[in-house]
Amino acid sequence: MQLQRISLNQLGSMIILFLIGSSSLFLLASDASKDAWLAVIVGMLGGLLLLWGVNLFLYRLMPEMNLIEMIFELMGKPIGYLIGIAYVLYFCYKSIRNVREFGDLSIMYLLPQTPLPALMLIVCLLSAFTIFHGVDVFFRMAEAVLPIVIIIYILLFLLVAGSGLLHFDHVTPVLDEGFKPIWDAAIPELISFPFGEIVLFLMFWKYTEHRGNMVSLTVKCFLFSGLFITFTNLFILAGLGSLAGTVSIPLMQLTNLIEFARFLERIDPLVALLLFTGVFFKLTAYYFGAVLALSQIVNRPNNKYIILLIGMVIFFGSFLFRNYLEHIYVGFQYNVKYHFPIFQIFLPIMLLTLAIIKKRRSEKVHAK
Amino acid sequence: MNEEIKGNHSTDEKELKRLSADLDQNIKMVTDQLGTQPDIMIRQLHLFSNSKAALLYIAGMTNVNAVNLLVMSMISEPPLGSSEQVESPFDSLMYRSLAVGGIRKLASLDEVLLAMLEGNSIILLDGFCDAIAAFTCGVEKRSVEEPSTQTVVRGPKEGFTETLHVNTALIRNKIKSPNLRMEYRIIGHQTRTTIALVFMKGIADDKVIEEARRRLDLIDTDSILESGYIEEFIQDKTFTPFPLLQNSERPDAVAAGLLEGQFAIIVDGTPFVLLAPVTFVKFFQSSEDYYQRYDIATFLRIIRFFSFFASMLLPSIYIAITTFHQEMLPTQLLISIAAQREGVPFPALIEAMIMEVTFEILREAGVRMPRIIGPAISIVGALVLGQSAVQAGLVSAAMVIVVSFTAIASFVIPSVNMGTAARLIRFLLMILAGTFGVFGILAGLMMLLTHLSALRSFGVPYLAPIAPLVPGSLKDVFIRVPWWAMKKRPGFQKKEATVRQGTPSSLSETDDEHPQEGSEQ
Repeated sequence: MQLQRISLNQLGSMIILFLIGSSSLFLLASDASKDAWLAVIVGMLGGLLLLWGVNLFLYRLMPEMNLIEMIFELMGKPIGYLIGIAYVLYFCYKSIRNVREFGDLSIMYLLPQTPLPALMLIVCLLSAFTIFHGVDVFFRMAEAVLPIVIIIYILLFLLVAGSGLLHFDHVTPVLDEGFKPIWDAAIPELISFPFGEIVLFLMFWKYTEHRGNMVSLTVKCFLFSGLFITFTNLFILAGLGSLAGTVSIPLMQLTNLIEFARFLERIDPLVALLLFTGVFFKLTAYYFGAVLALSQIVNRPNNKYIILLIGMVIFFGSFLFRNYLEHIYVGFQYNVKYHFPIFQIFLPIMLLTLAIIKKRRSEKVHAK
Repeated sequence: MNEEIKGNHSTDEKELKRLSADLDQNIKMVTDQLGTQPDIMIRQLHLFSNSKAALLYIAGMTNVNAVNLLVMSMISEPPLGSSEQVESPFDSLMYRSLAVGGIRKLASLDEVLLAMLEGNSIILLDGFCDAIAAFTCGVEKRSVEEPSTQTVVRGPKEGFTETLHVNTALIRNKIKSPNLRMEYRIIGHQTRTTIALVFMKGIADDKVIEEARRRLDLIDTDSILESGYIEEFIQDKTFTPFPLLQNSERPDAVAAGLLEGQFAIIVDGTPFVLLAPVTFVKFFQSSEDYYQRYDIATFLRIIRFFSFFASMLLPSIYIAITTFHQEMLPTQLLISIAAQREGVPFPALIEAMIMEVTFEILREAGVRMPRIIGPAISIVGALVLGQSAVQAGLVSAAMVIVVSFTAIASFVIPSVNMGTAARLIRFLLMILAGTFGVFGILAGLMMLLTHLSALRSFGVPYLAPIAPLVPGSLKDVFIRVPWWAMKKRPGFQKKEATVRQGTPSSLSETDDEHPQEGSEQ
């Protein structure tokens, strides 16, 4: 596990892949029905505020530190251990959710007779294999994969549009039920998933080179991903209408309907590819975050046993849910509303406050 | 020259043994070491100066004409008195009369033996405890022919041979620049193979060259018979199916590589020259791409990448779809394939394995067997294994098509060793596809991507210029832009030498020697 500098290009690719993840395959904010895409924009703006005002601010105050180092620096040892471990568990849990989601969806759509543990084990092993190679390799992979993912998405959009599946009367009239349902759907759910997840990058930012442009690049990539998710959301809504809220993978459903030039039909494997890549990068990023965080806490960088340990936690943790429905229910009813905001909003803001106070104090000392 | 060789730390007494002043004893020492073998020639001569001399060489290692000329110049040496200057007979031979290009003065028996084994002729003179080695090397060698493994439609038809000096000359003939540097070293305790490290000074990255020197110096082995030995000793990582050094039989390809900042390693005794550092996409570039029009070259590049992925993935995709995801096929096609597979007794994975292994056997047979039996293999392959297997109901016709296409696609890749990487990975992916369907293939590909991202060739990331992205270098990856648009070198060079067009280059000091070029050819 060598830790090397990552280029801005790689960082940008990773942010985009990470944020898009699998979220563009699903209909986010389905509570807002027709106006779900507006809710995504609201969520994105909320996330942007969080990113710009808290995470990046925090990073600029302490650019040489990752999240765990910041926690220790600002909160001292005993509380630092507690919160640090909490973040490790949070990253693991996020990873677990991705593993589980991937396993369940694969069984549902691709391999109905394969045992779930086998699939999840393979995904975990793949992630561990990547993490063994280090940060730079992982980020380079993102750089290589992003163009392919974008090309496939464009292809899908063109095929969907070319097959005449888009009916924009599904999404009009805009703001039929006023702004309230949009707000309710977006805050805090959409900040928690996917936009607030950017907090993970506090673990990675310190490895980038050319820090000067990093902040604006991060924001640009964040905006790109947000608009991209909005776009796919709109697409799904326009293609499937009211059906969109009821199917498990709306984009898969939509591509199922493609019939282009009597030749291209059922291009589900492309969607499977997108799902796989998106989930893989997301879960590996969280897995990596957990590994880096734990290595920092126990002060053992480059320890391969930590990778195995976290891997095992993630693998066995993914049996926490009895089935996909429970997984979804727990996720959307409790986690995104109550649990994730602690780590994505509350703790970073607290850290920022502490950091600002500390800075003021040291400036005062200097002034004297 | 007259003291003992200090650098030689060997404790063996014989190796440090000095020559004596007595001619017969010297000859005896040599024959004791080499044995009285029939190819060791000892010619005793009396010079005009009345001193006794002997010429020693190994028949077959030396050029007959050169030796004859040497003997002639020795016996026609003018008597000592006729010259105004008074020289010793040794100096007279050494500096005056020998009709040969290169000579060296040797002091120890060890040096004499090595010089002889390299094909030099040794002149021993009675009364002097030094010997002269005259450069008369001239092993019978193959003439320069068209390369057999990397053929082109348009482009130079000459290929490297087994002789180091011919190969270096072929490169020098392409790049007439004083910056073309060749560093020789001898590797292999027993074979004492000469290898040349060739690079363009001022273009190649100094750190890379230093690393290459270091790795070559670390090689400690008794034999180097082919550049493959060197390749395995100096590559960055052993456990990978992907080649981390390129090899080429074509002087033009090597020259192009040198000019892009790569270095070459020429090994005496093989026409395959190594080129490094190298990236993944380099293996999909043929030197012909640069001689043909850029549009067709671009088209061919894309065909090659497509073929690579087809040869790697096609059987596994077929297995995955027919085993797990039948719904992905259009209905008509599904019915047709299902009908074909109706009588086939094996699952798709086994069926594909049988056919792939059969093809690999056929292919290996095609390479190993004597040329005359060639057509027989084609008949057996095509008729017996293809048609009859389908008629007998052992494999489906669709599978034969898939396997044949895979096979043909694997030959499209210009570099054989990248093709073999695809062959190996194909089997892994087939097993994954047979057990986990499309998911297995994706998992396999993701692992492959991790592996590729982690690979480096002499410090250069293997996936460059895609990851890490070097936008300027993308002009020569999936597309090939016209020559005038490739103003910069594509990435191996040192920073100062990025530009190759548009600036008056201080590198080419020999530009005004063009008239000579015409007369040479």
